[in-house]
Amino acid sequence: MLFLAFALVASACSGDDGIDVSDAPADDTGDDDTSDDATGDDDSGDSRSGGVLLAAQGAEPDRLDPHLTSAFASFQVLENVYDTLVQPGADLSMEGALAESWEVSADNLTWTFTMRDGVTWHNGRAFTAADVEYSYNRILDPEAGAANAWRFGSVESVSAVDDTTLEIKVSRPTPNLLVSIGAFKGMAIVPREIVEDGTIDTQPVGTGPFKFVSSSPDQGIVLERNDDYWRADEGLPYLDGVTFTQIPDQTVKLTNLQTGEVDWVDTVPPQQLAGLEGDDSLVVMRVPGGDYHYFALNQNRPPFDNVLVRQAIATAINRGEIAEAAQFGAATANQAAIPAGTFWTYDYSPFPAADTDAAAALLDEAGVTDLTIEFLVSSEFPETVTQAEVIAAQLDAIGVAVEIRDVDFGTWLDVQGSGEFDAFMLSWIGNIDPDDFYYAQHHSDGGFNFQGYNNPDVDELLDAARVETDESARKALYEEAATAIIDDASYIYLYNPENINAWGANVQGYVVRGDNAVRFEETWLDG
Amino acid sequence: MTAYVLRRLFQMALALLGVSIIVFSLIHLVPGDPVRVALGTRFDPDVHAALTKRAGLDRPILVQYFSWLGDAVRGDLGVSFRSGQPVADLLFERLPATITLAVAALFVALLVSVPLGILSAVRSGSKLDYGATAASQVAVSVPDFWAGIMYILLFSLSLRWLPPSGYVSFSDDPVEWLKHLTLPALTIGLISGSILFRFIRSAVLEALHQPYTRTARAKGLTERQVIWSHVMPNAWIPIVTVVGLQLGFLLSGVIVVEVIFAWPGLGRLALLSVQDRDFTVLQGAVLLIAFVFLSVNLIVDLLYGYLDPRVRQK
Repeated sequence: MLFLAFALVASACSGDDGIDVSDAPADDTGDDDTSDDATGDDDSGDSRSGGVLLAAQGAEPDRLDPHLTSAFASFQVLENVYDTLVQPGADLSMEGALAESWEVSADNLTWTFTMRDGVTWHNGRAFTAADVEYSYNRILDPEAGAANAWRFGSVESVSAVDDTTLEIKVSRPTPNLLVSIGAFKGMAIVPREIVEDGTIDTQPVGTGPFKFVSSSPDQGIVLERNDDYWRADEGLPYLDGVTFTQIPDQTVKLTNLQTGEVDWVDTVPPQQLAGLEGDDSLVVMRVPGGDYHYFALNQNRPPFDNVLVRQAIATAINRGEIAEAAQFGAATANQAAIPAGTFWTYDYSPFPAADTDAAAALLDEAGVTDLTIEFLVSSEFPETVTQAEVIAAQLDAIGVAVEIRDVDFGTWLDVQGSGEFDAFMLSWIGNIDPDDFYYAQHHSDGGFNFQGYNNPDVDELLDAARVETDESARKALYEEAATAIIDDASYIYLYNPENINAWGANVQGYVVRGDNAVRFEETWLDG
Repeated sequence: MTAYVLRRLFQMALALLGVSIIVFSLIHLVPGDPVRVALGTRFDPDVHAALTKRAGLDRPILVQYFSWLGDAVRGDLGVSFRSGQPVADLLFERLPATITLAVAALFVALLVSVPLGILSAVRSGSKLDYGATAASQVAVSVPDFWAGIMYILLFSLSLRWLPPSGYVSFSDDPVEWLKHLTLPALTIGLISGSILFRFIRSAVLEALHQPYTRTARAKGLTERQVIWSHVMPNAWIPIVTVVGLQLGFLLSGVIVVEVIFAWPGLGRLALLSVQDRDFTVLQGAVLLIAFVFLSVNLIVDLLYGYLDPRVRQK
């Protein structure tokens, strides 16, 4: 609804990287709907069910309570166990999941959702609107400790009118409410009984395509087919089960795929992408992702409070080189946050690349000499260290020295929170709505405006855009805000990385998604 | 004997207390807030405050320590902040993997080091001695993560003999258990074995030059009798000490090797708990590791009595 389609075929990514890894064996690489011919006479139709897929993930899920975890590894698993009220479709526009339909009142302050019929929990109990009321109120309760409570900033009340009707009242028009409740499994609907008996972390019960069976250090996380899935009439899910194992070392993880020990891996080391070209036993799929990498200079600390200094840095760097060094070409340099190809894309590139003369002139104008910048990075995100090294070399050309402060992520968060830094570098992941891209980071009251950006015009624009229900008017407001944010170098945006998954040639029907969600419901194994 | 063991157990308790104080102080000196790590880069401040309060992290450090200690001496190691699971459960579900790998690695180490160490000492200066000494030098110098990756690329990717990583418990499938165990056990076993080799060689060499060995030879005993009846009984004591230390080291979780081989042991758990500032798990893991280390040492000391009658009489 809100978005143009993300190009979902690997070859659609920037054509100049020389790597074509789109040689998926079957004709199902694209976004053609595999469900519509599940009952057809397609020659692979009969083999679409069966098999247990072995998936390898790089990190260990910390816990399995979708409301309390913030770990991507947990969501890779939970994506297949739980449902949200609405969910992003292949083009990332929101479509019905547990809710079949919804409407907004004329004053835009009441949303009414109608639940899908005949959905049951994995424990056999019928799903009702009361489950949604319970789940959302749990997220809203600070005592529960939900990591995603912030997504409900404008929600005043959630109540089940009857078994199939849910009403959400908001304090202000909230055009991104569907994205807030659906873009992310952290907003999953959970049954009250497993929260109350304390088994939600050890024995999750959802409504999704796969049922949780067990989790142990030696067996990994075992999921089995949910025969009563609400898309069972389409034959889904095709697989008998999915088992997640955790393999921290990237090279070893890839070796497991190459030797057939696992069927699917969640990442490929970018430096090995070229080497996998032409390997017929594997499929590597890359799609433009919604994540972005950036760094921010501390505007509470001179001389970074001077916009000329920030602009000088933004002009001196070469984003293409940074992306190449950090991601080996599996990324697109961008001076703005939102990647190309979505409804919200705003193509704005005011800074010349690596223009050392212009950058030096800006520093002169600011009257700054002998500048040293300490970059806060973390080896737990190794690309940030590489990027800082490249930036150090690039800024050397205008006489600016860079000191790299590489700490573990726990320390990184602490230092960022304390404001004791010159510059921090990281990425934001999983954003879809522009409010997620800008408000918390650049509004003067934003919870994540650690760089200390304060522009009343931007505040006004972001406040207005947040409640604007007309899509094109909303887009125009965000473009105006983004122009100021980029010109003022509140964040210095670097690039959008691609989402990359790889799997064995026997895996069919899996698609890498623009939001990087890992969904196996339409996947099957060729016998 | 009983009095000796009791005294040693009391010393162990004191040492564990000391370890717990050091770990607790260190982890609170390092910056990092477990609640922020758990919530991620973006969160609601009210949620942060509520979680901090619930985990008791808003209390003074001394209060936190003594409340933890009070529970710990009653056998309650607390709940992991990261996973919401009891710490004891997390530790004990990973203990079998760690013990398996440690014992297997020690087995590899002894298999290599005992025969080679004795032979090298007896034929000191021979080609075998030079070869084994050089090989052991290489094996200790090569970093374990590099050696591990090389074994995986050779034995898994190129030759397809063994699986590259993972752990299967013996009760599930003994054959797969052995296949998965081989490469990690080899990686650290060879390093450990090289260290042991050097100790064994020098211990045997030293005993070979003692007056009692000369006497034994002068009595006309065969070389075999000299080695097994006079040299080795004296060489065992330093060897057992080093073997004990090596076993303690292996049991404490070889973090790098566990990460490379995706081995679900204590070392990996400890690493995760440091990254996430999961205080209770780290405390529990370090205490368990210290306990294992001290216990192995106690057993080694008791073994002295068995190996050397002089110790027994004292």
